[in-house]
Amino acid sequence: MDLFLQTLLNGLLIGGVIATFTIGFQLTFGVLHVIDFAVGGWVVLGGYLAYYMAAELGLDGFLAIPVAFVLFGVIGYLIGPVLYNVRNSRTARPELMALALTFGLFTLLRGGMLTAWGFNTHSVPTALSGESLSIGPVIVPLIRVAAAAFAVAIAGGLFVFLYRTRYGLAIRATAESRQNAALMGVNIHRLSANVYGLYAGITAMAGVLMGAIYSVNPEVGLRYTLFAFFVAVLAGLGSVGGALVAALLLGVIEAFVSTYVGSSYSLLAIFATLFLVLLVSPRGILQRGL
Amino acid sequence: MKSRLASLVLLIAAIVVLALLPALVNNYWLRIATGALMWAGLACSWNMLGGYAGYINFGQSAFFGLGAYTSALLMGDPLGLPFFATIPAGIVVTAIFAIIIGAPTLRLRGAYFAIATWAFAEVLTQFVNVVGFTGGIGGLNLPPFLDERFFYFTMFAAAVLTYLVTWALFERSRFGLKVKALRDHEPAAEAMGINTALVKLQTFVLSAVTASVFGSIFAYWVTFINPKSVFGGDITDQMVVMVLLGGLGSLWGPAIGGVGLFVINRLLWMNWGDTAFYIAILGAAIVLVVLFLPNGIAGLFAKRPAESATVLDKAVDKLVGNGEGGHS
Amino acid sequence: MFTSTRGFSRRRFLGGSAFALAAGALGMPFIRTARAQVPTFKAGVITSLSGDNILGGNLTKRGYDLWADAINAKGGVEVGGDRFKVEMFYGDDQSNPATGADAAERLIVQNEVDVLFGPYTSGSTIAVQPICQKYQVPMISGSAESPNVWKAKPEFNFGIIPAVDTTAGKSLAVLVKISNPTAKTIAVISVNEPFSKETGEGFRDGAKKAGLDLVAYELVPAEGDLTPVISKIAALKPDIVAVGGHEEPLINVVKTSKSLDFRPKALIMHYGVTDPAFAQALAADANGTCGVAVWLPSVPYKDDLFGTAKEFAEIAKKKSGHEPDYTEAACAASGLVFGDAIKRLGKKPALKPENRVALKDAIAETDIHTFYGPIKFEKDGNHYHDNIQPVPVLIQIQDGKTVAVGPKDAAAAALTYPLPTWK
Repeated sequence: MDLFLQTLLNGLLIGGVIATFTIGFQLTFGVLHVIDFAVGGWVVLGGYLAYYMAAELGLDGFLAIPVAFVLFGVIGYLIGPVLYNVRNSRTARPELMALALTFGLFTLLRGGMLTAWGFNTHSVPTALSGESLSIGPVIVPLIRVAAAAFAVAIAGGLFVFLYRTRYGLAIRATAESRQNAALMGVNIHRLSANVYGLYAGITAMAGVLMGAIYSVNPEVGLRYTLFAFFVAVLAGLGSVGGALVAALLLGVIEAFVSTYVGSSYSLLAIFATLFLVLLVSPRGILQRGL
Repeated sequence: MKSRLASLVLLIAAIVVLALLPALVNNYWLRIATGALMWAGLACSWNMLGGYAGYINFGQSAFFGLGAYTSALLMGDPLGLPFFATIPAGIVVTAIFAIIIGAPTLRLRGAYFAIATWAFAEVLTQFVNVVGFTGGIGGLNLPPFLDERFFYFTMFAAAVLTYLVTWALFERSRFGLKVKALRDHEPAAEAMGINTALVKLQTFVLSAVTASVFGSIFAYWVTFINPKSVFGGDITDQMVVMVLLGGLGSLWGPAIGGVGLFVINRLLWMNWGDTAFYIAILGAAIVLVVLFLPNGIAGLFAKRPAESATVLDKAVDKLVGNGEGGHS
Repeated sequence: MFTSTRGFSRRRFLGGSAFALAAGALGMPFIRTARAQVPTFKAGVITSLSGDNILGGNLTKRGYDLWADAINAKGGVEVGGDRFKVEMFYGDDQSNPATGADAAERLIVQNEVDVLFGPYTSGSTIAVQPICQKYQVPMISGSAESPNVWKAKPEFNFGIIPAVDTTAGKSLAVLVKISNPTAKTIAVISVNEPFSKETGEGFRDGAKKAGLDLVAYELVPAEGDLTPVISKIAALKPDIVAVGGHEEPLINVVKTSKSLDFRPKALIMHYGVTDPAFAQALAADANGTCGVAVWLPSVPYKDDLFGTAKEFAEIAKKKSGHEPDYTEAACAASGLVFGDAIKRLGKKPALKPENRVALKDAIAETDIHTFYGPIKFEKDGNHYHDNIQPVPVLIQIQDGKTVAVGPKDAAAAALTYPLPTWK
């Protein structure tokens, strides 16, 4: 029973961790209709920022979170319009060209990081790293709780922003129909810059947490891209709330299969679940957009 | 007429040069040429579904891997079958998998189909990792056969056959028209009486078995395979990028993209291969091509760029009142 | 959006430059560098300079280069009284066996190397072996540790490091012997990837021989999260946790264990602990982790080129800023094997094909003592052509430094056992 509770907690927290870097991804897809291959690249960049702030300036990893948001938010703001232009260009398959662009960006980031920062694995120290709390028989790793709380806070914040502000309305309108939003006077070019900036900032913040929970080197990015894709599809592409639910589901499956069936089967079970869900419910479990 | 004659002459010249290549270059360059032919063929296999039918398959490496593993398992103990007998076996195994996987997933559209196929490839990879008879993560050895020319000509024959079939089926037959019709507007194609489900599945299976043949040859050529080297997602990624760079949905685009990217990768690797910087250069090159050559290299030579397809798309979209078009 | 005229001119411009680039690229292979006037030995290094195994790949390259620099500083390799410098050529296998085979073919055919120094990973090594066989070029591997490398009895391949199935189990026995109170139970975690899995199997099989009760054997996928596995093992309360993996998962095992407040009495890993990056990434949390080293700067061996093991470590540290680990040492020792064999053979560069076969036979007869330890290759059995002479040393990180704790005659400090709890 104790192990059962611990496994459930582990699973929910794995879900919370995965959700951190999937939420922004959903926003980009929902609004810009771009599948961003570079999502893992932003995660790794956030991790490196925190590592260097800690190693060079002796700062706690958490202090890197706002810095990551601003820095990568600005970079994302600059990249957003380029991506928008490609996505809406008059080529045969603009959605594919946008995907290829982000794949190129991801490769460029990976090669650049390998060249500039080398290949050693680093870890981001934070005040909560390695700390835990015992609640009865269950051990609660605090850094993961922080990540899960971050995911919930970001999802909640986005919800308020999208559904309670005028600009949020403009974003939702754009998500539904670019043409109609543009006709209503929304500056879509600037909006796409803002959305991609917001996404890159959120994802880099998640990267700081990933560096604290796991570790960071230039080659781990693909793993995050993989999970972001899968969770997003399980949730229904573009659904922010669904991402949270789907991430928790995958986390719990991974934990229970690892503990009770055998850890070598955990990913097999995750991918098989995703595959079956897609066959039964072709638009993800929630079947709706942003 | 004139330009058609010119391209025919060019084609024959290219085939003659390729046939004579073993006499002209040393074994290393022959090996690079073998690799280039393989990638040209793989890119073409991906383009059958991705370019002509408009279905983006992120799991194509699964079929490459199935071919490679079928050949490796059948050639090894205890059966020890001859190599050429294992190619049809690989085709059969792959076709069965492709039908089982394709029938349900081809109902999905756009990104959902793409990621469902990726998930399938991951399931297969994990399966090969976990079960015993595949050698697990440690991989499989094949009996080494070390004749570079044999592999060059085998790969050459497979590539020529792939392009011939593609040309005949997708460029010169009613089947090709059906495939393109469903790409450009699936509901309209269906309304015209095309059995889209069947046409999609046929294309999917053809694309899969083509990749499988190259997988079989690859396994015998390299003599050692493991799950990562034949099922790895980076194999699919490369095919996709090659097709996009070369020109999506065109006959020669994948050949140009496949040969070009592989050879450039190898040249960068030879000259700057002692650092990881060439990865950054490769990434930058992809970004630049997307930004400045959005119709691929083949688009440079096309009389009219593939824009017409989108124009048609948009027109039809307007008719059926679907303002957004494109994704979904 | 782009106007059509702009689009056209840009397209034409890019078409032109793409053509120029392609023409330049095609021209490249035909530009040959002028041959050096004095004959040199040419050595090819195949290793992972990009991709997943980039860290280890660079370690191996550093090791091979250390030997080349040292021997060239002396004027080169000695053959019949003359000295010939060594020229190094590199091929990146992109952490992919097929590219490793491409690299081997290139180094042999294009660069006409006399000898190859082998890849970091066992997978690449296995893919390169047939190429060595085809061209009859000997390859000395300073890194590959999987027992699979030697099972097929590769005629032209020689390994400096004992296969992991021989070392993992032996060091576990040492750990049990010096633990007090004596350890009784063990759980093994290994990442399901090449090398890591074989290390895990080495620990699993060694556990039985060491009289341990195996309470769990878990294979985890490389992309998986470790909390479920660690929680499961924590509930079984084993005395020892043994881990097979590369540096990144090893770091994650320690971090995850700490975040779940689980600490076994001993934590033993294999490769990666001796790499300074491990202790650096984990800071104080690295303390207490045990590892297996085939070589350490404190071992009592020496040779003419590098001097003592300690002197070798100093040379290496001056170059890279880090203490060298055993892979670097074994790679440097690979060069010594070549130097010794070519001296006995007495053939000057460039080697003719039949001389390369003779070189292979000379390497097979190697029986030398180096700063790395004794080197002698097996002539038969499951470890054909592998050097299983070195005795693994059990090490532990204490105060951020790697120290030998067993076996008794090699120990420089006492084993910290059981490990204190995290809080």
